[in-house]
Amino acid sequence: MSASLPAPRPPQVAKPVSIWRSPRVWSVVLLLGVLLVWEWTVSTFGWSQLVLPAPSAVGQALWRGFASGYFWPHILQTTVEVLVGLLLGGVIGFGCGLVLGESAFVRRVLMPYVVASQVMPKLALAPLLTVWLGFGTLPMVVITALVCFFPLLESTLTGIGHADLSRLELFRMLGASRWQTLWRLKVPTGLPVILAGLRMAVVLALVGAVVGEFIGGSVGLGALIIAAQGSMDTPLMFAVLTLITILGLLLYHGTVWIQQHLLRPFAASLSQGR
Amino acid sequence: MNPADAFLHMRQVRYAYPGAGVVIDDVDWSLPEGAIHCLLGRSGCGKSTLLKLAAGLLLPDSGEVVVGGMPVREPGLATGFVFQAPTLLAWLSVLDNVLLPVSLKRRATAADITHATELLEQVGLQDFHRRYPDQLSGGQQSRVAIARALLPAPRLLLMDEPFAALDALTREELQDTLLAVCRRQGTSVLFVTHDIAESVYLGDRVAVIEHGQVRCTVDVPLPRPRLPGQRHGTDFNAVCARLRQVMEGVS
Repeated sequence: MSASLPAPRPPQVAKPVSIWRSPRVWSVVLLLGVLLVWEWTVSTFGWSQLVLPAPSAVGQALWRGFASGYFWPHILQTTVEVLVGLLLGGVIGFGCGLVLGESAFVRRVLMPYVVASQVMPKLALAPLLTVWLGFGTLPMVVITALVCFFPLLESTLTGIGHADLSRLELFRMLGASRWQTLWRLKVPTGLPVILAGLRMAVVLALVGAVVGEFIGGSVGLGALIIAAQGSMDTPLMFAVLTLITILGLLLYHGTVWIQQHLLRPFAASLSQGR
Repeated sequence: MNPADAFLHMRQVRYAYPGAGVVIDDVDWSLPEGAIHCLLGRSGCGKSTLLKLAAGLLLPDSGEVVVGGMPVREPGLATGFVFQAPTLLAWLSVLDNVLLPVSLKRRATAADITHATELLEQVGLQDFHRRYPDQLSGGQQSRVAIARALLPAPRLLLMDEPFAALDALTREELQDTLLAVCRRQGTSVLFVTHDIAESVYLGDRVAVIEHGQVRCTVDVPLPRPRLPGQRHGTDFNAVCARLRQVMEGVS
């Protein structure tokens, strides 16, 4: 090969290299590496299972829980609380956001109280709610709904305010009613912001449900952690934490999927236009 | 001209934004049916406000605005408005954007879709129905905005510097498109611009606006239809020079 020309790379060499360039592969490698080091450390130093169980012990606890069917009612309970609470809090938050966004008068009257109730940690209400509503599903759903209410209220209020003056004047020129202007201009304009609020609400909903169960639940993943603590079963505790993480990931990615579906016209125009 | 023949007639119109002093001061203006008049002026001279008064988006403090013999009390579909920005809805396709004036009233019929398709063809966008606004260039977006304004077949079209953000060549193409479409439909146009050449090329008559008043009215003696070759003719340049003199004189 002549020295003046740069040597062309043989194409078949590039293929095996490309796998190790993939960030996904490295994510998995990182997880396996951490688990291996963890397992090795625990067995080498002989730490008590009560302090830090090895990944294999956590895996066994997970397996036992699923094989005996012990986990299912708890998973179901927490999932129902999160979904019903999210639906309730989300719909009411969205509706209140629309009302506050549309009426400057209502906004001025209510905004101080909205801000006050927003800074108050909703989870601090859990003991009170168990006094009022008992220990069943209802208080957990209410606490989850309260936690989801504010992100949706806030994002809806901000989102529908994003419509610009020219487009509002356009709708006036076209003789649109107030309802049409809201529904066909302001809400679609604010949809990306509103859905960002929904994503935040989903994450907070899981926190609300689990912490609510810490305080007043007898069934559910949060209650299961408290039970594991009572019986000093640390592997079970780790197993439940794993379950909560997986549930959270499923809910989060579900929301992202819905978001992509709803924002498809926006995404189509952005990805091809620029 | 006898004001009674005018399609759009503004009589002693006065308007002040709350707390901002008088913006429009005793303006009289008459636009005959089918004519194109331009309002020319620098930024902040009140020309856009005058257009909003003609549209009914603003109501005069005193005086009267009459369109087609009826006093204007609120915005309506008889008047089309094209804004400075194309103001398309990003989540609707080009065709749905054009159909918006209809779809706010009722479900769009096959006839509406045919009509919208024809309008898109007239503004030179036959193959763009399924595209979204962000996939179009600035000039194409302006074309969609014009087609949308023309869908309810308004007899009066009000345009607020619709081509100001476009490059010179695109702007000239759009001027020709606009003239052709309005000629075909017999639409009267009141066109606001800060571009002297644009006002002369489009208008039968140009009003120079300064401090909310009509300072000067210049008739454009060029034959219709206007052709791109006229843009650099002696008559054209003479009118431009005259308007420039007026604008420099009043500032």
